[in-house]
Amino acid sequence: MTEQLFEQLAQSVIDGDDNESKDLTNKLLGENIPAKQILNDGLMKGMDVVGRRFRDNEIFVPEVLVSARAMKKAMDVLKPELINSGDKMSGVVMLGTVEGDIHDIGKNLVSILLQGAGFDIIDLGVSVSKQTFIDKIEEHHPDILGLTAMLTTTMHNMEPIITEIQKSEFSVKTIIGGAPINTAFANEIGADAFGKNASDAVNKVKALMGDLEQETVS
Amino acid sequence: MTSKERVQKAARMQIPDRVPFMCQLSIGHYFLNSQVDNTDLWFTSRGYADALVEMAKKYHFDGILVNLPGRDPEYSDYVHKIETYEDKHRVFWKNGNYTDLPHDDNPHYYQEDGSRFFPTFQEIDPEELFYIEPWDLTDITYPYTWGFEDSPRSQGDFFPEYHLDTLQLVLKKAGDTLAVHSEVFSPWSQFMELLNYENALMGILDDPEKCKACLDRLTDGAITLARKQAKLEVDAVLISSAFAGGGLISKSHYEEFALPYERRLIQEFKQDFEIPIYTHTCGAIGDRLDLMLATGTDGIDTLDPPPIGTVELQDAVQQLKGKVFIKGNIDPVNTLLQESVDVIREDAERRLQIAKPGGGYILSTACSVAPHTPPDNIHTLYETVEEHGYY
Repeated sequence: MTEQLFEQLAQSVIDGDDNESKDLTNKLLGENIPAKQILNDGLMKGMDVVGRRFRDNEIFVPEVLVSARAMKKAMDVLKPELINSGDKMSGVVMLGTVEGDIHDIGKNLVSILLQGAGFDIIDLGVSVSKQTFIDKIEEHHPDILGLTAMLTTTMHNMEPIITEIQKSEFSVKTIIGGAPINTAFANEIGADAFGKNASDAVNKVKALMGDLEQETVS
Repeated sequence: MTSKERVQKAARMQIPDRVPFMCQLSIGHYFLNSQVDNTDLWFTSRGYADALVEMAKKYHFDGILVNLPGRDPEYSDYVHKIETYEDKHRVFWKNGNYTDLPHDDNPHYYQEDGSRFFPTFQEIDPEELFYIEPWDLTDITYPYTWGFEDSPRSQGDFFPEYHLDTLQLVLKKAGDTLAVHSEVFSPWSQFMELLNYENALMGILDDPEKCKACLDRLTDGAITLARKQAKLEVDAVLISSAFAGGGLISKSHYEEFALPYERRLIQEFKQDFEIPIYTHTCGAIGDRLDLMLATGTDGIDTLDPPPIGTVELQDAVQQLKGKVFIKGNIDPVNTLLQESVDVIREDAERRLQIAKPGGGYILSTACSVAPHTPPDNIHTLYETVEEHGYY
């Protein structure tokens, strides 16, 4: 019965049915299913399918957005339970579009897919100044910082942020992305990774988390 | 042959004396390189017209795309104060809102609290829509009002008198020798801009019939504007349809939400005008060139190559040559902004080899020239077309 509910929950995310995703989440919590299990076996299963289909060009941005909306509505219910139970997410990723840039659709897609992969997201929004990034890293201690820029005029705002992080005691890893960005630019400014699209960004974030864990152990 | 004649021939798939050369420059590039003061350039029709002609002559373009509307000549009556910072001007308006003009990028209009206004999908009524001009001084409003006007205009009198001023000034200054192209926004682009993209994209799944009703109304406005522009005797009309590529919507959604409305716009335009009407769509369009042809367009612009898009020029030539004119395909970021002049020259030469034969080709960057592109890089394109572009 519980398995069936998990499948229905996953499907509600795939279908973008946000009322159903919320109702099913509430139902599962009502049956004392642990929040982390609801996340892993229901919501993330659904977003896994969404992420794969998006990567393979079977679905496009509209479908991903409605799935994200369904996931978010379920997470609004689930998140307090996760916090109460002390369950850990896969990691904490802070995202923001750099100063002077108001574009966010790529960042929002990355945020959606990362949430689907079990990451906790702190989204600073658009046109975020260097100082705000630094202040927020100090406040929240994310594992990964994701910077995005859509414009050639704003991409150069990434370097000062990364330089400041490298000079600091922060152990945060950095990933960058956006239309004018490429691997050469990422290497030039010292970013730890470059996400060529939203799906690639998720894979790179997972790899960076692996690096962080290894560094912690050693 | 004048530049104007050169572009006219290419746009009709005829063979001119040489391949025309014509790029769209970003607003930031004008800000950085034009002699026109940035506030005049953005807020006045004459300012932008002067900048367009100045830079077209500087770079030896054969044509000019007039891609901003005319401006309210009384705009300064609404200014409260202007402050200058290291990287921008900020114009504070009497209504409490403000516009930021970065020294090297697109200006934007903000509410007093720093947010940008967009209506929700739920609140918009298709019956209230006609045309959305994303580059109006006050960005997006709903119900739509022009600039600081108090109330929406009727459809019969929708476009302000000054709306075509920039276009008229450019035609007067340069229209004898340079091709002048006007621009309208496609219904899909207008819809996306109105709802700030994400809500429009979800809307096509949440309530497709409402979206179609909106798109239908926005088509009416685009047709009206295109006709007004054509009456001024422009050389072509560009349909700006930036958001219809595969980076955002599937081919089937393009077929449902972009194609029918662009097709109606083009068909109704062509009932009265013989000048070319062509389409600019960014990003991944390699999979839908056939559908773009089905709109009846006379030409396809941008043709973004990998990695910014999915169009290889030889494939585009194979699919499109003889059916529509083609323009674009030089990567404005990875090639024109970031590479050496030698690489740029080689890139342009290769494109000429591929697309020049048989005519119907305009050498151009895919999307607009980035603000900090060195002028010498753009000159290199002109030098290359002068050396290798003659028939």
